[in-house]
Amino acid sequence: MINILLPLVIIFILQLLFYSWWWIVLVPLVLGFLEKDSALKASAGTGLGVFLLWFGMAVYQWKNGGEIIVARVSEVMGVGSGLVLALATGLIGFLVALVAGYAGFSLRKVLIKEYQIS
Amino acid sequence: MRLIKTILAFLLLLLLFNLLNNSQGSIPPLGKFLNPFAGFWQNGEKLDQLNEVLDVNGLRDEVKVVWDERQVPHVFAENTYDIYFAQGFLTARHRLWQMEFQTHVAAGRVSEIIGAKALEFDKMQRRRGLLMAAETAIQHMDKDSETHLILQAYANGVNTWIETLTPATLPLEYKLLNYKPEVWSTLKTALLLKFMAWDLTGRNSEMDMSIIQATLGEEFVQTFYPEDTPLTDPVVPAGKPWRFEAMTPDSIPPFFEPQFVRDLKNGEPDPDNGSNNWAVSGSKTASGYPMLANDPHLGLKLPSIWYEIQLSTPDMNVYGVSLPGAPAVIIGFNQDIAWGMTNAASDAMDWFEIEFKDDSYTEYLYRDEWVKADLRIEEIFIRDGETELDTFAVTRFGPLVYFGENRLENGHPTGLAMRWVPHDPSNEMIAIRKMNLATDKESFFTALEDFDSPGQNFAMAARDGDIGIRHNGKYPLRGQDQGKFVRAGRDTLGEWQDWIPYDQLPTISNPWSGYVSSANQNPTGKNYPYYLGWDYDDYERGSRINDRLGQLNKIKFEDMQDMHMDNFNKQAQLMLPFLLNQLKVEAPSSEMEAIINDLQAWSYVSDPDEKAAWVYKQWWLHIEKAIWDDELTIFGEVRKIPARSVTARLLLKELKLPYYDDIHTPEQEGRSEIINLAFQQTIKDLGAELGPYGDAWELGRARGTDINHLLSVKGLGRTNLYTGGGSGIINATKKTHGPSWRMLVELGKQPIARGIFPGGQSGNPGSKYYDNAVNDWVAGKYYDIHFLSSAETGNNSNLSLTHLRNYQ
Repeated sequence: MINILLPLVIIFILQLLFYSWWWIVLVPLVLGFLEKDSALKASAGTGLGVFLLWFGMAVYQWKNGGEIIVARVSEVMGVGSGLVLALATGLIGFLVALVAGYAGFSLRKVLIKEYQIS
Repeated sequence: MRLIKTILAFLLLLLLFNLLNNSQGSIPPLGKFLNPFAGFWQNGEKLDQLNEVLDVNGLRDEVKVVWDERQVPHVFAENTYDIYFAQGFLTARHRLWQMEFQTHVAAGRVSEIIGAKALEFDKMQRRRGLLMAAETAIQHMDKDSETHLILQAYANGVNTWIETLTPATLPLEYKLLNYKPEVWSTLKTALLLKFMAWDLTGRNSEMDMSIIQATLGEEFVQTFYPEDTPLTDPVVPAGKPWRFEAMTPDSIPPFFEPQFVRDLKNGEPDPDNGSNNWAVSGSKTASGYPMLANDPHLGLKLPSIWYEIQLSTPDMNVYGVSLPGAPAVIIGFNQDIAWGMTNAASDAMDWFEIEFKDDSYTEYLYRDEWVKADLRIEEIFIRDGETELDTFAVTRFGPLVYFGENRLENGHPTGLAMRWVPHDPSNEMIAIRKMNLATDKESFFTALEDFDSPGQNFAMAARDGDIGIRHNGKYPLRGQDQGKFVRAGRDTLGEWQDWIPYDQLPTISNPWSGYVSSANQNPTGKNYPYYLGWDYDDYERGSRINDRLGQLNKIKFEDMQDMHMDNFNKQAQLMLPFLLNQLKVEAPSSEMEAIINDLQAWSYVSDPDEKAAWVYKQWWLHIEKAIWDDELTIFGEVRKIPARSVTARLLLKELKLPYYDDIHTPEQEGRSEIINLAFQQTIKDLGAELGPYGDAWELGRARGTDINHLLSVKGLGRTNLYTGGGSGIINATKKTHGPSWRMLVELGKQPIARGIFPGGQSGNPGSKYYDNAVNDWVAGKYYDIHFLSSAETGNNSNLSLTHLRNYQ
């Protein structure tokens, strides 16, 4: 659970303050690197956290005065509805965090192995 | 193995990052765009929220803004600087992307935003000298301290708004196109004004007319392209005597056949840019007070062309529409006067063929000597590309817009230079400011002296009872037809030498008829001593307005509204009975019978549910095509065809004429044949496009109106609007063009006004104020305008107040 909640909370705070989308790359990368045991936790766990954050935030914006913009952008992007758009947003977050989390975890394994050999 | 996995994971991550952080073709960078903390999700209605107090750095005193139910700001400031600062700040709040993008278009800087695909467009904008003209204008305007103050205050206001933006609150289009706003400068306002001048005076048919005259002869041109189109009721009634001694041009240049032949129509403004305005004196109104109406016809876009605003200081209280990006009110009213504009359509542009010494284009032949040209080097930045340098010559005949394609017989390179009034120094900004401050007819017409371009018919009404109209602008002194053809830029013949004196421009005040009007038609009768142009709008709209104003008495707003929405097609009234009389359909199908019956029963009113209106329109276009396209296809292009009224007169009067015959067929077509063939072709085409005769043939469906987004992004515009009207109709609504602002004002003790434009105050597609007026505009409704005398909102729950304060 912590593997899902931690990235969710950290990225939520960072994005509220600094907006940039690439926090969903950087934070999972670092958290993945800090994860000792499970590749699944580092990748899918982080990915799920980011999915929940981005999907949840998208739905929140949509339902709080975002109906018009969501309807328009859905047409611009050629997707059927706001829900599809929110799901796409969440899935992009999931995919990026999954890969970043795994890359961080993987890097740790490489570096620690090299350290042990030397 | 782990190392490989790690490398692969990082490569995948890098690929994802790159894909999501950068635009892919027309797809925005999805990581940024979908980011729910800063992407499009943030562009919802919360951006519409109004604060009670805003800390605005840069104001000199407190400014109060009363917002009405349509989010029109009514701005109350203590001084001139603050009022324009606030206007810049508030306009940017609603329209920042639009105002900046339009200046990029004007300056030829679109490549900076969308890359090399806009390079040719940018080059043309630069060579037409829009940026050059804006630079000249700003140098000139800066010399006047009041103008400088106004422009700088506005720019400071815009920049203060830009500073408040975060990545989340950036307008949607910046996110779609992945760029950021830059600092606003006074030059941008000058660019915007020049862009408007281009939109209204940039159309020109000189090349076509030269080619037609060279190919088909002078008589053809004199007969079919007359200065006075039949049936035209001029802006200033034809009988008006001119009590001044007119200047005489030195010479009238002989006809010159250009060797540099090319199509100048590419990229020209819409030929339908025009408008209606009229003013009626108190003797014709129900209230006894003068009234004014205006509806400028422009390309319809979202965000809307206009931004509604009230500007109030101790010495001014003015309401109307402004151009986002320019200070002050362009069309509107104050306590004492109301004014409206229509495009003058007089000729502000001439083309000259220039002979150069060699391919360096540095010297050109003028009065038998090689004269040095100025070279202007334009630096065009290209997104994701190398900066392009474009060099072109600037001659005494203006910038060399087209060159490098032809040589003269003597081997010298040649090109076409564009002499255009807005290239000269002018200060329209101060004219607009003075118009906003004017208190009567005299002060209003005096204000117009500085309004060089675009030339406009300014109609006005004043509280003291005066009404008037002025065909205003700066126009060169020219001989008859001088501006009709391309001229040789080789000597003083054809060169602009002087200007028509301002006090001799066509003007009329308080005519006995009790009304004045204009609809882009010829401004004067034949007795006016100067040549102003020839390519004016046809007679129909102007004539219909005058018909109705002549008949109306005890006029109320409702009558004016009814006139704005008048769909009567005078051209159809003139021609349809004749055409139907010529129609011979043997053994018609039931569908054909229904079509003909509908045409016969049609009352010439182009309402949206009229099928006959669209059939007639297409039939007429086919007839024009059948008569003219064969003769006028010269050098691979269909050249300018004669005016509707000229063709109409021809058909009504001439049974036989060589032009009726299609020169590409062995048969000898006559008048009746082309009318019938055109009809058959029309029905065939419409059937193929719209299916069996039915609802789909209604004007509102077959044509309707689309109000597209400025970027033509599907989903951000409003399309398939069920509209009537059309060309040559007072309600000049067309597919993508039409009345961009309908305004009615009555000048009583307190002015009363109504208005509407097809859009809304906000430029944010996520706001309900983006297009909230579109349906009402289609339905011909108007909004009551709140002309406030103070910032007190009282008990009116539709009004809310924002204090703009400088806490520093």
